[in-house]
Amino acid sequence: MALPQPLRVSITPTELELIASEQLVDVVPLITMEKTAFISGAYGPLRPPNKCRIPLWMAVNLKLKKKCHIVPPDWLTVEFLQDRLSEETSEPEFSRLPFRFAEIARAILDVASDDVQNAEKVRSLLKDLREARQSKSRDGLSQIDNSELSLPNLCLMEINEIRPYFVKAMNVFTQLKGQPEAINKDAAHEDDNDA
Amino acid sequence: MDDDDDFFTNLDSGNDHFQNRLRNAPHDDDDVPMPAALPLFEEGEGETPLQQLIRHWMNERHAPDVLPFAEDVLSGLLDHIRRQSETVQLLRSDPSSSEEEHFRTMLAQTEVERVKFVVRSYLRTRLFKIEKFARYIMTNPEVQQRLSENEVDHARRFAKLTDQHFYVSVLQGLPDNQQTLDDKTPFLPPMIAEPDKSHAVFVHARQRCPPVRLLDGSTLTMQKGHVSLTPYSVVEQLVMRGEVELV
Repeated sequence: MALPQPLRVSITPTELELIASEQLVDVVPLITMEKTAFISGAYGPLRPPNKCRIPLWMAVNLKLKKKCHIVPPDWLTVEFLQDRLSEETSEPEFSRLPFRFAEIARAILDVASDDVQNAEKVRSLLKDLREARQSKSRDGLSQIDNSELSLPNLCLMEINEIRPYFVKAMNVFTQLKGQPEAINKDAAHEDDNDA
Repeated sequence: MDDDDDFFTNLDSGNDHFQNRLRNAPHDDDDVPMPAALPLFEEGEGETPLQQLIRHWMNERHAPDVLPFAEDVLSGLLDHIRRQSETVQLLRSDPSSSEEEHFRTMLAQTEVERVKFVVRSYLRTRLFKIEKFARYIMTNPEVQQRLSENEVDHARRFAKLTDQHFYVSVLQGLPDNQQTLDDKTPFLPPMIAEPDKSHAVFVHARQRCPPVRLLDGSTLTMQKGHVSLTPYSVVEQLVMRGEVELV
């Protein structure tokens, strides 16, 4: 088929990482390169030891070949994450984090942990944050109905994680509360899935 | 998500002095103004064609219905891919290229492959829906408006092919009144598969949106950056106008 079964219900984390890698990051290059036109824009010139702003995928690529150092974003620091973690555990709401923070943090920590100050502390903070937020998003399931559920400050990777269960739950509510025509439609949809 | 557990645990400690120097390195003098690097919160500047295509791709992946074909964006990008590949080929065939040139071509090539991946996935997602709803599309001219010519053509042939197959394999042996493929028996699902617009989707507001009416009768006004789970029918118009994206 045109689209493999696992891709029909959701987006895979790797696809999310591909999208997040389009965002720009500062690097200190170790090679020179003239300003070059790429499809997503023109980047460069790379002139060590000056900083330059390039897409994350390019930075990761160069870093793997040891041709640059990645300057981690301001939010990927122990102080910032520590702040957010204490906010997360004391407040009922989700704290504000960049929408794609999980993907970006992962990409940077995977290849450039030597460019991040105190990388192991950053990792464990990210992990704590993730667990604190996960338990909050599970609580959100109790508020689900058939019309709308607002999830302020929920990040993309977290949305992707709760998607299958939440979507299914809301569809069941719609089915239970819907009009007779709607029920027919849902039944048709079920049949499709079975086929 | 199964490798998430070792996501943050792979220990490694760095040299703090060196990292401070990294952070404080000067920006290149003739740096043109650029969007902020990994900003804390994304700004709503103009999207590049690639970002537009990625948005259309994600919408298409999440929406239960077939969305309008992003023809202009796609043809522009395909053109760009072709030009970029030609340049890469040209540089590669040049034996006197320096190491610097080598890196540029390698990066350009990598980007071409990334964009191609998005284009393919976008088209395949549409193809999947078109085949699934082929008969519905052929009975509904309004939906055909959203497809490209090639896609309508494919839907027509696919619907014809399956109809013929059903007829030859089973239907011709049945009594005349049971040979149709579009029965609408009360209290039974219709035979033509239709997109389920009550399917729940996650939306992310790209700007402040006009109020929408929810199924329970109340209204919702989404501010920029708002994230919400709601049935697709509620936000369908906002998606078509590009005011929200599906995530």
